Amino acid sequence: MNTLQYYTDLFKVTRTQLEELTATALAQGGDYCDLYFEHTSFFNLLLKDGVVSSGGFHTDYGVGIRVLKGEKTGYAYSENTEMRDMLSAAKAASAIAAGQASSGRTYKSVKDKVQDLYPMQENWRDKHADAFLPFLKDLEKAIFAKDSRIVKVIIRLSDSVTDVLMYNSLSELTYETRPMGSVTATVVFQQGDKTENKSVSRSFRTGAEMIGPALLDEIAGEAVKGIDERFEAIRPKGGQMNVVMGAGASGILLHEAMGHAFEADFNRKGQSIFSDRLGQQICPKGVDVVDDGTVAYNRGSGNYDDEGVPGEKTYMVKDGVLCSYLHDRISAAWYGVEPTGNGRRENFRYNPIPRMRATYMESGDADPGSIIASVKNGIYVNEFSNGQVKIGEGDFTFFVKSGFLIEKGRLTAPVKDINIIGNGPQALADILAVGNDLRIDNGTWTCGKEQSVPVSCGMPTVLISSLTVGGE
Amino acid sequence: MITTEEIQLAKHCISHATASGATAARVSLNKSVTDACTIMNGELDKVSHSADRSIYIYLFVDGRYGTFSTNRLEEKELEEFISKAVEMVRMLGEDRCRRLPDQDRTEKNASSGRELGLFDDAYYSIEAEERYRNALRLSIYEKIVQNKEFSLISEECEYSCTADDMFLADSNGLECRHSETAFGTFSEMTIKDNEGNKYSGYWWQTSPVANEIDFEECGRKALERAVSQIGPKKRRSGRYRMVVDTTVASRLVTPLLTALNASSIQQKMSFLDNSLGMQVFPEGLTLMDLARTPGKNGSRLFDTEGVATKDTAIIENGVVKQYFVNTYLSEKMGIPPTVEDISRPCIRPYLKEIALQDKEKEVSLEDILKASRNGIFVTGFNGGNCNPVTGDFSFGIEGFAINEGKIGHPVREMLITGNIMELWNHLTAAGSDARASSRWQIPSLAFEEVTFSA
Repeated sequence: MNTLQYYTDLFKVTRTQLEELTATALAQGGDYCDLYFEHTSFFNLLLKDGVVSSGGFHTDYGVGIRVLKGEKTGYAYSENTEMRDMLSAAKAASAIAAGQASSGRTYKSVKDKVQDLYPMQENWRDKHADAFLPFLKDLEKAIFAKDSRIVKVIIRLSDSVTDVLMYNSLSELTYETRPMGSVTATVVFQQGDKTENKSVSRSFRTGAEMIGPALLDEIAGEAVKGIDERFEAIRPKGGQMNVVMGAGASGILLHEAMGHAFEADFNRKGQSIFSDRLGQQICPKGVDVVDDGTVAYNRGSGNYDDEGVPGEKTYMVKDGVLCSYLHDRISAAWYGVEPTGNGRRENFRYNPIPRMRATYMESGDADPGSIIASVKNGIYVNEFSNGQVKIGEGDFTFFVKSGFLIEKGRLTAPVKDINIIGNGPQALADILAVGNDLRIDNGTWTCGKEQSVPVSCGMPTVLISSLTVGGE
Repeated sequence: MITTEEIQLAKHCISHATASGATAARVSLNKSVTDACTIMNGELDKVSHSADRSIYIYLFVDGRYGTFSTNRLEEKELEEFISKAVEMVRMLGEDRCRRLPDQDRTEKNASSGRELGLFDDAYYSIEAEERYRNALRLSIYEKIVQNKEFSLISEECEYSCTADDMFLADSNGLECRHSETAFGTFSEMTIKDNEGNKYSGYWWQTSPVANEIDFEECGRKALERAVSQIGPKKRRSGRYRMVVDTTVASRLVTPLLTALNASSIQQKMSFLDNSLGMQVFPEGLTLMDLARTPGKNGSRLFDTEGVATKDTAIIENGVVKQYFVNTYLSEKMGIPPTVEDISRPCIRPYLKEIALQDKEKEVSLEDILKASRNGIFVTGFNGGNCNPVTGDFSFGIEGFAINEGKIGHPVREMLITGNIMELWNHLTAAGSDARASSRWQIPSLAFEEVTFSA
């Protein structure tokens, strides 16, 4: 881990200057202010048509300054850290408090926690493009070798390393460096006059040591998995039916059906369908749902969130009862609870808001095979792309890339490209069984609520009694 | 916005790149300033100020290619950045198809950035106090009369002013500039009915001209849209006529434009491969790119390579007239280049039942609903996707029943499923009601024989 001096040198600031900036930001009567310094270096390579024929690197640097007056926010940023420009941004953000009466709100310090969830053995910044070229070419070769129907392979490798220094008017000073590496392979297959495609990705907060034979084998194997079924897949008959969510990426259900609705900004404003349901039984007993910022190397994890609050594991649902929303500092002060480390932002240009990290359901005790066997007629789904939710109404959807019909307790015809729709509270109440096989999906999940942030999701095999499935 | 010194800096980047070994280079310097003011339940909730400045550098080095960007614009730092970038490009694989566009294809008349009349100098005179007042004008919180049907949970509205400026230059002598302002309003209402069910509705407007904003409309429309959703009923699965409101109809056009892009076709990821010059859509469908309309959102004189745009048909009377082919893909695929992508798509009016003898005839939403008689009026899409290879789609929808040409009760938790080419081949109407403030001029559309699941 880098020392404080690494960050103060990088951002060319001293402790005295940090104090001057917070004092300026609060000069018009703000209750709280924070400074978020960020420097990110991005790098990417693209293999197409057998050649790594494009790539590049990108640099982003700046500081965001936020002032809170009660729940009201003033925000400004500077793309350099010259004191003159930072003071100008601090003054712009301070305007939110001008002429405002006392809010009566108190922002309190949080307890620090030392953790290193993503140590880098090999820093991406120390690597040159040529270090990754063999991996990309070998991966392409390995994928082509798996199936003679493959006609195109596109592989993207990207990484980023972000240095963050945070300081606030409570004199809390935190800093860390966040790595992220991602590899995505998109494969096009042709069989007769039919074409199918499949995309596989893996993303981790880790160093360049992730690039190696194990990752290559995993992606190459996954890239061709289930392709025979894709060529045979049908559109099921649409309508309401039993849905078995396969372990892993099915966690998108939690992300859309409850995660967003549990983000405390929506609840503070009364907009969420779960706004008045804290402490109530919203799932069957025995169901635990977590939003976790502490899974080692996970894409959604953070030693700290973007408000300097240590990452933690937060139970949203315990034994079926809604026990916590996901809080940033604003909502935590409003509800009179501790922030949960969910204050996140896309970069220094944005103020933090409550966001998910790694959202998953903990394992139950049912055998996954028995869950499928218990369904007379329904559908099993295991690959997904995007999802969406309407916060107030609770209506959510997610798009299924592949799955199977369930007939008389057995997986039968493969299905693909169907949207599933449901209502959050109803879907949670309709959970009939939870498997003992929790798996967290390590794809490049990105959540787009106002700003884009990396997340992940996971789930054991789960049976829901009724969701609406799109079909013929 | 962009200063003379910054333009010199951008040009210096090109010189430094070629001096460092680049065969050719293109630079895009971008500046953007946005100020926004948000009102929550009638009171100030957020003020924000953002000012961005970045430079994108596209390097061509001995048949190799890379793209780079930074917001660190000190000259010495930039020079080091570019030198490292040239070294990196040398490590990549050779692809001789990478090159700058020919000079005879690039725009020559975009020197000031103001040619399309998209920059309103009123931007400079709108100070923080006026932004706050304008944001307050959007709020109807105090005016909403609580009634027996609903209670208001929250109102959020925002007024924003943005100025964007872009300078594009390359080592072939290209120099283009595009400047525009955007004044935006947004309002979102969340309400609760007597049974505690929540509904939300939103409305927005964007204009390059400050005084074109209608401050009265935003909150009223948002509230109307929320209230109209009270009391949804289930509708049976089946095949219905579908009318899609202009505010969301672009969702059905996006898969077509993606499929018409040469990058999709070259990678065998397009359901419109081999369709150029073919009648693959119904005769009533004409999709134009009206890129050079002065004063309209989305207009631009040049694309990201500096290639001059033109007003042209993309699909004309159902025939595919143009793919989007940039310089690289033109070389790679051996087909003529066009522009990189669409600027301002526009669908011409059409009514299947009534031949439009008069090409200038207006087709209203009422005309379309009347012609559709019974079906479902879609006012929102909720998730879903379209397979880029096969065109198979499945989208969540919300909207209203159509009964004898009139809008009926709201419907929810429904899905439409099918193939996007089949859907477009069941087009029965396209209106002339696209919102003037939209970049995408996609009007209300109607289709027959659409499969709904519920």
